[in-house]
Amino acid sequence: MRYSKNKIALVDCNSFYVSCERLFNPSIIRKPVIVLSSNDGCVISRSTEAKALDIKMGEPYFKVEKIVKKNDVKVFSSNYSLYGDISRRVMKTLKQFSPRIEIYSIDEAFLDLSSIKNEDLLECGNKIRKTVLKWTGIPTSIGIAVTKTLSKAANYVAKKEKSGIVNLINSKQIDEILSKININNVWGVGPQLTKFYIKNGIKTAYQLKNMHNSWIKKNTNVFGSRTVMELKGIPCTSLEIYQEKRKNCCVSRSFGRKVTKLEELDESITTHCLNAAEKIRSDNQTTKRITVFIRTSPFQKDKNYYANSKDIDLPIKTNDSIELVRQALIALRYIYREGYKYQKTGIILSKLNDSNIYKENLFSSINNEEKRKKLMKAIDYTNIKYGRQALSIAQAGLKKKWNIKKQHSSKIDTACFDFLPVVRIS
Amino acid sequence: MKVLLPFHLNKVGAGFPSPATDCVEDDIDLNACLIKNVPSTFLIRVQGKSMNSIGIHDGDLLVVDRSLNPKNFSTVIANVNEELVVKTFIKEKDQSFLTSGSNRAEDKINLTESSEIFVWGVVTYTIHAL
Repeated sequence: MRYSKNKIALVDCNSFYVSCERLFNPSIIRKPVIVLSSNDGCVISRSTEAKALDIKMGEPYFKVEKIVKKNDVKVFSSNYSLYGDISRRVMKTLKQFSPRIEIYSIDEAFLDLSSIKNEDLLECGNKIRKTVLKWTGIPTSIGIAVTKTLSKAANYVAKKEKSGIVNLINSKQIDEILSKININNVWGVGPQLTKFYIKNGIKTAYQLKNMHNSWIKKNTNVFGSRTVMELKGIPCTSLEIYQEKRKNCCVSRSFGRKVTKLEELDESITTHCLNAAEKIRSDNQTTKRITVFIRTSPFQKDKNYYANSKDIDLPIKTNDSIELVRQALIALRYIYREGYKYQKTGIILSKLNDSNIYKENLFSSINNEEKRKKLMKAIDYTNIKYGRQALSIAQAGLKKKWNIKKQHSSKIDTACFDFLPVVRIS
Repeated sequence: MKVLLPFHLNKVGAGFPSPATDCVEDDIDLNACLIKNVPSTFLIRVQGKSMNSIGIHDGDLLVVDRSLNPKNFSTVIANVNEELVVKTFIKEKDQSFLTSGSNRAEDKINLTESSEIFVWGVVTYTIHAL
């Protein structure tokens, strides 16, 4: 059968953000380390030692602060420019082993190893792990199987193995391994589906694999049956080698401190719009809808919680920063309420389309479209050449008092000349 | 696909053509010359004292390739006492050492199989501002 020739490896970086921080800071090797989300809000990466202290993924920082102090856990703010650069290095290294690679997230990639002989797969996987570790300093785990879903499952088990690698191709232990994986840890099974499956007595990946096709088809959607087929070893999704264009673009940020004034919310929403507009322009896309959302902290006890959002359907597709800012600020006025301490704002551009299908529109509020397109081009060019936000619009504010708080940042950036790592001579 | 074509700058003149126009080359790309293996090469700045014996000074930039294995007398970045430092790698019959470039016996750090002390990468170039 054709499909049995598929060999897919899922390479996943272990505690990726923590591993990046350890790369230039050997004093935190073998110690409990955590990395916090963009506003020092929640725990988003944990070293093995930190996991052993029962610090949970996604937990708010203030809830684990006691454990942190008691056990001298090293805490870092997220340093995305560093993680981004290290991620690119990892992916480039992986490409040496197979040109057919799907970069799935900042720390995971599917690799097509179909050209490798079955008996050489383990050796190849070990070589990949060794090379990535030596070249980039990042430890990885690898799962190899005939479908993406099975390679995810293999990887899940590999993370707990000392060898860091599990190969399910022609393996007699497939069922034994699948029966050890809880249903909620199966790729593609979200919280809703988990609840539904458990209600129906399906608790492990093995049980799901053995469900009858007709039952799955009747009770779940096309994605549900895909997952089951893939667990049975029948590939339903191929590698997405060419990254698909995004369909949504979301930019959001938490404030460094609580914000109450409308003017400050204006500044942050404007900045989000500029970033999002620049992103979609770089992909030659336009948007048809803009959503603005704001909320207070869900963890503060003294004040009432408030969260709201507003969609605006744009009269014509656009990627014009000025038009998007104008619409977003109108939307903000619908949902802004005085007297709340806001903690987060964001915007979502949705219904994205290719921008060359640009039609003249009677209702457009942008006069002189050609001129404005040229202006946007000039802004993008200047900002690429002279750095982000060299050219902006005044509405975005100059001081940005509300900007991100990063109390524990390592401030190292391997891709920026001014923040290179430092070594001593002794 | 991007196709790069040579760009001829001189006008077509009536006189003797410049023999140099036949050798159109790109500008020198220092990145390509100094960085052999992109994903494994890091730029690292030196801080503190100088290592005069090998010509590394405070503020210099080091080009460090992690993919290389150190040879005898390679300049390396190593993890010593939980810190990244510049050292010289010495290989003897069946043992390897790190030194700071002096001949003093106490300057030798034994590179055993212990995971506490290890070579982080090999320095391939130093860039020094004058």
